[in-house]
Amino acid sequence: MNVSSQSWILVGDDPAVSALVEAARAVGDQVTAVVAGPRTVADDVARSGVDRVLWLGATGDEPVEAYAGAVARIVVEAAPRAVIAATSAAGRALLGAVAAAVQAPVLAGVGSVEVSGESVVVSRTVLGGIVEHRTSVSAGPALLALAPGSAAGEGAPAVDVETVGATPRAGAHVTAVRTKDVEAVDLGAARAVVAVGRGLKAREDVELLQGLASAFGAELGCSRPLAEGVDWLAKERYIGISGQHITPELYVAVGISGQLQHMVGVRGAGTVVAVNSDKAAPIFAQCDYGVVGDLYQLVPAITAALQAAR
Amino acid sequence: MKIVVAYKWAANPQDAEVRPDGSVGWGRAKSAVSEYDPVAFEVARRLAEATGGEVIGLSVGAAAIDTPLARKAALSRGLDRLVLVADDALADVDGTRIAAALAAAVTTIGDVDLVLAGDSSVDVAEGQVAMTLAGQLGWLGLAGVSSVESDGGVLRVERDLPAGISTLSVEGPVVLALTSDAVVVRVPGMKDILGAAKKPTQVLALSALDVAAPVVELTTLSATPPATGDRKGVMFDGSDPAAAAIQLVDALRLARAL
Repeated sequence: MNVSSQSWILVGDDPAVSALVEAARAVGDQVTAVVAGPRTVADDVARSGVDRVLWLGATGDEPVEAYAGAVARIVVEAAPRAVIAATSAAGRALLGAVAAAVQAPVLAGVGSVEVSGESVVVSRTVLGGIVEHRTSVSAGPALLALAPGSAAGEGAPAVDVETVGATPRAGAHVTAVRTKDVEAVDLGAARAVVAVGRGLKAREDVELLQGLASAFGAELGCSRPLAEGVDWLAKERYIGISGQHITPELYVAVGISGQLQHMVGVRGAGTVVAVNSDKAAPIFAQCDYGVVGDLYQLVPAITAALQAAR
Repeated sequence: MKIVVAYKWAANPQDAEVRPDGSVGWGRAKSAVSEYDPVAFEVARRLAEATGGEVIGLSVGAAAIDTPLARKAALSRGLDRLVLVADDALADVDGTRIAAALAAAVTTIGDVDLVLAGDSSVDVAEGQVAMTLAGQLGWLGLAGVSSVESDGGVLRVERDLPAGISTLSVEGPVVLALTSDAVVVRVPGMKDILGAAKKPTQVLALSALDVAAPVVELTTLSATPPATGDRKGVMFDGSDPAAAAIQLVDALRLARAL
């Protein structure tokens, strides 16, 4: 297909699009957002620095994903140079429909994007973060998935929201949404984070780690098995490839072996401390300070030493 | 209900060697059913038990995905039968190609009501293929699914999304990508492993499938190992916990890390 110098962003029900707009701006003269979510999201996106907003009309009780086919048809007709969405569940479904419609690959883990001649050049991490690639995309659209950034501010200037008719796929209805009864946690904003992994033996022992986190003035996080395997901590506290990516000044990993999938989430941390009973654990090759020993003895001792140092 | 479990036979990048030139050596890494896929086998089996349905495993990839070990690893996880597209033309192809091959195989299997997949693969770890497969099939695709139950001809689907826990009623066909905590997965027992040998495997030839050619040219301009950030690696012996704790806190204070 002929490729224009337009770029498009695909939006569901999350108005956080700043990083998507920035990437779209880097490769396109004109940035169009297509919004398959509520009108309020379209209004927010209209203030995000895009040139056009196409809103697919009032959503009933259909999930965003029911509009994936409609989004793909609109995007393909415009033949953009790049199509960009968030790495969220909805973003992946919208990009998947576009990928299938144009038979082009989706590149995820995208850090930066630029235009080079007729190609789009993407810097990204691959294979869960073990390698960084610079990849050139040519002869068709670059389909990119990245962390979406933040929502536009209240007072930012807005473009008009154009309504385009679209019919959702029939047969899927959201029947209920209940908010999660977990306290809001923003690991990304924390100066220090203490995280715990499979070294922890029982749910009650989370309290022990909470004490250590308090002594450090830190938020408590965890590796994937504690949030998804056993549900001892909220999903929002899980650090790793598909969880939180954080850059605290101090990161303390307790009972975490240092698997690649976890470490990708803390690569940018300032000082890394590891406590683990296995002296061969890979975490010890990736830390500034390591203590080999039993966390059930070391955590109370470190908590006490921190309190004594005050 | 006819359920396809789309799974990947893959190695963990944790065990791969990243060379200074950015190339990746998989010599030491052993392939297995990808870490987040067993949950899809388990949910499929439970749905089939509840509805009297059939569970078909499906994997596409390089010739190496079809070995006796790989067949047994999949068939011992509650499948009725297995369908493979194993061709070295599918080695190292992008996710949209894999999704196109999966879609062609699902179409060949025929009359499929539901495709289940894990959240993401252990190696690529992008969670995209299942959603692109939905696009290739022209079906609804939903990721982040934490529960699926059959209620007459309708699926009750629960999703764990940042905005909350969302419940949906879905009339098929649909592709669902499951979170890794959707169910607790049973470890296959001896009976499952012995029973696996008796279950049929069908190998589809890639050439017989209608898989569209790629339109986009991807060129890797450079590959580099990520910067490791040169950590100090100062170690303390924790056999005397109180002493180690004081040494650590002193070191952190000196480094102005507290």
